[in-house]
Amino acid sequence: MVFFKYSLQDPKLHLPQAGYEAKVKKMDSQLNQYLPVLMLLLVTSGFAVSTLIISVAAGKLGRRTKTKDIPYECGMLPEGEGNSRMSVKFYLVALLFVLFDIEVVFMYPWAVTYKKLLETDATLALGGMLSFMFILLVGYVYALKKRAFDWKS
Amino acid sequence: MNVGLQHYLIVSGLLFSIGLLGVVIRRNLIVIFMSLELMLNAANLSLVAFSRYNSNLDGQVMVFFTITVAAAEVAVGLALIVALYRKRQTAHVEDLTTLKF
Amino acid sequence: MNYSLIIVEITAVLIGLGVLMTDLWISPAARKGLGYAAAVAVGCLLAFATGSLAPQHGLGFRDSFVVDDLARFFKAFFLFGAIVVILMTVEFSSRIASGLSEFFALVIFALVGMLFAASANDLVLLFVSLELITVTFYILTSFQRNRLASLEAGVKYLILGAVASAFMVFGIALIFGSANSTNFRVIAAHQTELATSPVFLLGLLLVLAGLGFKIAAFPFQAWAPDVYQGSPAPATAFLAVGSKAAGFVLLIRLLTQAVPQITAEWSRLLVVMSAATIIYGSLCAIPQRNLKRLMGYSSIANAGYLLLGIVAMSRSGSTAILFYLGGYFFTVLAAFTAMSALAEHIETDEIAGLAGLGRRSPFLAATLTLSLVSLAGIPPMVGFFGKVLLLRSVFESAPGRPDLYLLLGIAVIGVVISLYYYFGVIRSIYWGGSTPNLAPIRTSLGTKVALGTCIAGMVFLGIAPNGYLRIAETAIGGIDSAAGRLKSPALKKVSAHEAH
Repeated sequence: MVFFKYSLQDPKLHLPQAGYEAKVKKMDSQLNQYLPVLMLLLVTSGFAVSTLIISVAAGKLGRRTKTKDIPYECGMLPEGEGNSRMSVKFYLVALLFVLFDIEVVFMYPWAVTYKKLLETDATLALGGMLSFMFILLVGYVYALKKRAFDWKS
Repeated sequence: MNVGLQHYLIVSGLLFSIGLLGVVIRRNLIVIFMSLELMLNAANLSLVAFSRYNSNLDGQVMVFFTITVAAAEVAVGLALIVALYRKRQTAHVEDLTTLKF
Repeated sequence: MNYSLIIVEITAVLIGLGVLMTDLWISPAARKGLGYAAAVAVGCLLAFATGSLAPQHGLGFRDSFVVDDLARFFKAFFLFGAIVVILMTVEFSSRIASGLSEFFALVIFALVGMLFAASANDLVLLFVSLELITVTFYILTSFQRNRLASLEAGVKYLILGAVASAFMVFGIALIFGSANSTNFRVIAAHQTELATSPVFLLGLLLVLAGLGFKIAAFPFQAWAPDVYQGSPAPATAFLAVGSKAAGFVLLIRLLTQAVPQITAEWSRLLVVMSAATIIYGSLCAIPQRNLKRLMGYSSIANAGYLLLGIVAMSRSGSTAILFYLGGYFFTVLAAFTAMSALAEHIETDEIAGLAGLGRRSPFLAATLTLSLVSLAGIPPMVGFFGKVLLLRSVFESAPGRPDLYLLLGIAVIGVVISLYYYFGVIRSIYWGGSTPNLAPIRTSLGTKVALGTCIAGMVFLGIAPNGYLRIAETAIGGIDSAAGRLKSPALKKVSAHEAH
């Protein structure tokens, strides 16, 4: 399948200005070009539908015994209900964890390129991250004052 | 087998379709929400693949933003679903029937 | 890098954070005052942003952020909208059980998203700013946590909005893959080659789907009636005014600035989308009995009319969009401010509940009537002139295009149908049968001022549109849609590949 006008197998650099003009090949007709997209759509939706059908069909056809129906066929016997309630406090803490945790995503690349950034634009290197942390800090103070971290309340 | 860009794109397309199908046919809000995450991550996969094969890191930067936005969406979404559950004692889409004419 | 380019956005973020922090140390009784303070702060920012001290032209942050006449026009538009919405919320505060200050802060955060959207020149910034708007609106929509309708509206908006943003990210991935860039300028420079790449076209289609969701265009309109009905009135007003305008500024940037050639090829698709949106919104509004839901369908129909300006693919079309949005701004804000003032006195949102309003509060009745008359497009209100401009821009592009004549016909039919349902509401206000309660409704001074401004805006723009029209023309002047190049002098200097 050819998706692009420039070769894909070579992971080396393909700048747009070099790639576009040089390797444009005129296709026979407009419609031919959409064949890969159509095939992709057919394959993906077909796969998704068939997986669902197969799993239901296989589940109905297979032999079922009591041992087979328990959650862990070869493991420990489950105790209690599967959907037992947890205290809603866990949920709040988990939510806050996700929110503050995900911001590290921006700190890793920043930390890696920090020295390089200092050479080119020092204000951006430190100021950018500091302002980002400041916004996070406001969020943290807000959560603290709203007693989101209080276990006993 | 030589794994190329096409393979990544096909996997990404598969994940996206599975996610979309999950959103359309599942009835539980939490499962719908999980399917939505699958769709976003499918897009992330193709962004990273394109980024690698175009030798252009802009795609990876976009992935960072997508991840963060997805986290914010999850936080708000789960809070909403929990609030709805407390009010209505259900997390099924069929029970969302207040707003009809 | 030129940080002064985003000075308006930085200030808006600081105002939002300030509101959030101040709330932690003040008494609950002072929260209304905090709202007024926030409105004043945003008002000062508006004065700064429209003044000569604010950045006028420029391109920065690796070409992803652009300040031009169009961006400044929309920034002023959003700031003004946020002020009115904050004032409206103060009036509405008795209906918001907890977290009034958070409501103000969220409105300002959504405003920040809109300010960035007005300047987005890159798909990454487009995505992030749209998500900032959408995620804050999930919360604003479901803010009345003890009202089931509000929660349900929030959940529906959340699920459909998340699907739309997933489509958008996937579309951006495909565009990035085929164009090797997410920047509008790079895409514009290569659009002739990209137009032959199916992957790029599929990506663009997916991004359009995401934007179509924002403006509630067919076939992505399903959320609008439910969300309009369920949300608190100020949130609905901001959704109708701000979120829709943000969608349209991005559509203008993407379709007429980044890929004008492909848009011209896709004109048939846009014609169908516009026609279907008008028909759907108009026909479904007829049987409605809930006023807010009716406004939801009316907003769908209005998205269809606004799309006419995109279909026209001309400068006059884009100018007409800007003009219509301005008129729509006053009209919708007047209607929703009147509705939130009524909310305390009339328990129901049903149209039948408006019976006797003509005697209970002549002022509110007149405001509601005027805004409905303007929405219906009757002279001398602004809605009439806006529709005329939109239709004329399509008519100018129509010669040799039979499908455009058909679209014009459909638009006119839509206007006629809309007369019917808008006048149903007006009939209910003045001749609405018997009503048990005839107690007069008092309106506060703040509401009166806000409503007076909106009515003045509606009537003034309808009678003397030239001044505002010239502003809209200046805002569009920076875009040379026919050649697909950026004409603004500040943009010319920077080479398209310099950033890479």
